[in-house]
Amino acid sequence: MLVLRRRAGESFLIGEEIEVEVLAVSQQGAKIGIRAPKETVVLRKELKVTQEQNAQAASGPSAQDLEQALRKLRP
Amino acid sequence: MPAVETKYFGIVSYAEESAVLFPQGLPAFEEERGFVLIDSPESAPLVFLQSLARAGLCFLAIPILLIDSSYQLAIAPEDLEDLGLNAGSQPVLGTDVSVLALVSVRDGLLASANLMAPIVLNVRTRRGLQAIRRDSRYSHEHPLAPLAGVQATEGTRPAETAC
Repeated sequence: MLVLRRRAGESFLIGEEIEVEVLAVSQQGAKIGIRAPKETVVLRKELKVTQEQNAQAASGPSAQDLEQALRKLRP
Repeated sequence: MPAVETKYFGIVSYAEESAVLFPQGLPAFEEERGFVLIDSPESAPLVFLQSLARAGLCFLAIPILLIDSSYQLAIAPEDLEDLGLNAGSQPVLGTDVSVLALVSVRDGLLASANLMAPIVLNVRTRRGLQAIRRDSRYSHEHPLAPLAGVQATEGTRPAETAC
């Protein structure tokens, strides 16, 4: 992973079209501004992880297989 | 009493107050706002989060304290506001909010629970959301082990769940 040290007000570029600026830094965290083409999807990573996890959770067992799936929880 | 066609139990009638509204849906299912909580004695401690609009959409969930009895909430202030709760402090689990972990199945067995993004329900307003943690304290794929001390209970009524 590339690691850069930036202060508030400084920015860096990803490719030709994406600019990421550190707006403010505090104890709570860093406030980031992103300038990117409209078609670039910017997503908090944990949201993407949750979407994928939900999609998997939604494809649970069929009604016939439910009892079998539950065996894992029985002591 | 309203009724809903479910993925696992055919048509189930439920009390109005068992319905839960997710104003923002769930990530990847943003259009699904209305759900009902169903439990059944044979499947305890599982809870079923059944979509009211789509019979085929039903999440399996477990009250989070049954997975980790010392689970600590860390709900973001904006999520607390959306739930109609005081954004300045964490709600009391079990009193102010019910908290469920969604379960994923792998190789036909319940495999893991998402402790990173629990389902939080305001017990007074029956509104809910999936509160994604900002920290990395808990896993989105917490492995499930047999839950000791968990027994199917007699007489559990469908769609009424304490969690």
